[in-house]
Amino acid sequence: MAAEPIVQVRELSKIYRQGDLDVVALNGVSIDIFPREFVALMGPSGSGKSTLLHIVAGIDRATRGTVLVQGIDVAGLNESQLAEWRNQNVGFVFQTFNLIPVLTARENVELPLLLTRLNGSERRRQVETALQLVGLADRMHHRPDQLSGGQQQRVAIARALVTDPALVVADEPTGNLDAKSAADVLSILQALSRDSGKTVIMVTHDPKAAAYGTRSLHLEKGEIVA
Amino acid sequence: MNILTFIAKNALRNRRRVILTVSSVAVSCGVLVTLQTLQRELTIPPESEAASLRVIARNKVSIAQPLPARQLGVIERIPGIVAVSPFTYFGGLYAEEKATGFAQFGVDPERFRGIMVEGRVVQGAYDDWVADRNSCMVGADTLDRYKLRVGDHMRFTGTFYPMDLDLRIAAVFQGTVDDRGVFFHHKLLDDAMDNGGAVGTWYMRVESAAVAPQVIAAIDRAFENSSAEVRAETERAFQMSFMSMLGDVKSLTLSVSSVVVFTLMLVTVSTMSMAIRERFRELAVLKALGFRRHELFSFILAESFGLAGAGAVLGIFGTWIFWSTVNLQKLTAGFLVYFEVTPRIMAMAGIVAAVLGIVSAMGPALAVARMSVVDGLKTID
Ligand SMILES: Nc1ncnc2c1ncn2[C@@H]1O[C@H](COP(=O)(O)OP(=O)(O)OP(=O)(O)O)[C@@H](O)[C@H]1O
Ligand SMILES: [Mg+2]
Repeated sequence: MAAEPIVQVRELSKIYRQGDLDVVALNGVSIDIFPREFVALMGPSGSGKSTLLHIVAGIDRATRGTVLVQGIDVAGLNESQLAEWRNQNVGFVFQTFNLIPVLTARENVELPLLLTRLNGSERRRQVETALQLVGLADRMHHRPDQLSGGQQQRVAIARALVTDPALVVADEPTGNLDAKSAADVLSILQALSRDSGKTVIMVTHDPKAAAYGTRSLHLEKGEIVA
Repeated sequence: MNILTFIAKNALRNRRRVILTVSSVAVSCGVLVTLQTLQRELTIPPESEAASLRVIARNKVSIAQPLPARQLGVIERIPGIVAVSPFTYFGGLYAEEKATGFAQFGVDPERFRGIMVEGRVVQGAYDDWVADRNSCMVGADTLDRYKLRVGDHMRFTGTFYPMDLDLRIAAVFQGTVDDRGVFFHHKLLDDAMDNGGAVGTWYMRVESAAVAPQVIAAIDRAFENSSAEVRAETERAFQMSFMSMLGDVKSLTLSVSSVVVFTLMLVTVSTMSMAIRERFRELAVLKALGFRRHELFSFILAESFGLAGAGAVLGIFGTWIFWSTVNLQKLTAGFLVYFEVTPRIMAMAGIVAAVLGIVSAMGPALAVARMSVVDGLKTID
């Protein structure tokens, strides 16, 4: 394992204020995640898994504590810098796939590249590489409603990969899939960390899914328990 | 794919919405253009150079009140006036008509020569009209419309004058802004009304547009505190006030236009906000992928603007083509003659549509800009 962690979380807390009531979603979480790790984030519902993932991925902000990703203090970036940072450094995979229904697989994967300086043919090459990686090069021109759930999730993974980010975050990526499709998706995520040098953080409830990872972290009531 | 195709695909994703939005914008723009054209037709007679040199004096109390004929001597002496003639609206019904779409005026033909200078006599002879007190000069449009010829007779039934007219066509004129009128000898009115103490209005031509204001002031002043005070104004101003007798056309078209625009706004605002609400989650995903506020803002604006623009182009040019094809003059018995959809009116409707496009994008765009990615992702679709 490399010496420098890619993700350093220190004393991270997230508190939602609801009227007089404080909901503590994260309570002093500290973790290190190293390059090429495939971390499974587990824990009961409401334990703060998604919250942690969102803060690390730069789509939510902490109440206290710091997150360094590749040495960058994410909290120090403004909205616009953060957006650019996400585009270049983080790939997102969601439980509900979240593809744009009117776009083909290729166009969905191309979306994050529209924010880069790449020209049309460079974009196409990268999109095709990403779709090949998830085994869907032949379904390039299909829209999401012409694909199975498992295929849609693989397109979503291609979209997460296409900008070649260091970090891929996935929130229950197999939550809506049957066992076979889940296994396909998990194998792809595993290959990403093992063969493509990505760091993958995956939230899951499923111990079988977690077994694909290199390590599991357990959250309970906003705290790391093991 | 590029950004523009992405925006287009989003805009066109719901066919029903596209049809609803585009067609409602198109229809509203069509109504708007038509109303504005109607208003222009009724209130602002096309300007001509000669018309800007003409002044009309009428009774200050109301246009229906006559003026004493003896005022002529005073008016003639006012400097700056080149020619003056009595000018009295007869308002008769032609032949068997229930409504007649052209006006008849009693004038002094000899004096009138120096006033309606832009008209040319194209058939018959002006002098023939001058010589025969039972003849008239007719506008070419009216001649054509009723398939008349020089020498034919036109009969009019008086409406507020207790007399009828039977006029031989001696001359036909053309080249004025409105080639429809019929002009006859004022003497016919004078004789019928006990040797003419009265005229409807005075019609004048002034030396230059520059002296018109002084001349107008001088006329008004000349009859101040007399039994018949007058109000002089340019022909154009006069025609506008005359039109106001038909009802306040301007405020009517304005209020109908506002209702149209307001309704249109409700439609576009609600369809646009529906369209964006449906897509809130997708927009949150785009944010997560790195799209910034101003980018999402411009996507929404472009989509709304594009749909409104498509509707506007369709509605405005469709209406323009429609009104240039239809022969309204024939259809309305000469009431609407030109009904010209001007570039100005089209531009105005285009601007209204553009503003609507922007306004209806505003709410959704702001909501999207304010939305946090996490909240947006939680939206159930
Ligand atoms: N916007 C919010 N306002 C108030 N409380 C919130 C908000 N978002 C999350 N929470 C609370 O924070 C805690 C952690 O939520 P989080 O979504 O991270 O849980 P989770 O571990 O992902 O659960 P699940 O497995 O059900 O997805 C929960 O108690 C939740 O109710
Ligand atoms: Mg969760």
